[in-house]
Amino acid sequence: MKTPSNSIKRRFALKFLRTLVRIRKSTHQPSPSQSSTWEIRRRAQRIKLAAYSSMARTVGSKRAWSRALTMKLRAAMGNRPWSMIKQESKKMTRRKLIAKRKRHMEKDLNSGVQELRRLVPGGQWMDPLSLMQETAHFLRCLETQVRVMRSIVAEGEGFPC
Amino acid sequence: MSSRRSSRSRNIQSDSSETRITDDQISDLISKLQHLIPELHRRRSDKVSASKVLRETCNYIRSLHKEVGDLSERLALLLGSGEADSDQAAIIRSLLMY
Repeated sequence: MKTPSNSIKRRFALKFLRTLVRIRKSTHQPSPSQSSTWEIRRRAQRIKLAAYSSMARTVGSKRAWSRALTMKLRAAMGNRPWSMIKQESKKMTRRKLIAKRKRHMEKDLNSGVQELRRLVPGGQWMDPLSLMQETAHFLRCLETQVRVMRSIVAEGEGFPC
Repeated sequence: MSSRRSSRSRNIQSDSSETRITDDQISDLISKLQHLIPELHRRRSDKVSASKVLRETCNYIRSLHKEVGDLSERLALLLGSGEADSDQAAIIRSLLMY
């Protein structure tokens, strides 16, 4: 099973940091007044989307989960009309049928697998085998993302203004 | 598309045109998942059931998502406060760490 390497960590960190600098520049006010709670909340949302999209772009189109996540993020950021998302799901129809048949076979593991399908991007359309493989890779990438974010926050909070 | 299907049938035993996944393959992948989750890795027992692994995986993914949200909030505060120079210095410093 392929797991993410250090290069993914590095490439994600660079992309994410660049986006952070961009966000910072776009929100920098001429008069340093206190940002409202709403502004902070909105900025946090942008940062969160930036984190997931940076990771999705780092992994690229190599994994099913990153492809699914990219589509989901584009919809969230309003760049793509909903019709494009529907087109993607039409491609998945045959896979959906196979997946549906497989789901009937999963008795004990059913609830666990169903929940996992909801959590892993694109999980709804994967067969159980692929779902496990994608979960493993997704998990490692998510961990990497969190670790990088933690160290950036630690770096930023360690320098009092 | 066809090449993807043929590579899959190499991994999966198929009696007919429909692919069938063996229990062994699924349990093998589940045990691999087990090693990725810190909660279960600590226990080091082989007796963890598949459904527990899946449950813990879901919990772990959810906690990671929550942490991303929390860290984003803290980053939003960091980006909002302070002067441009000191912020960018901190960012560039973390950049150099990699």
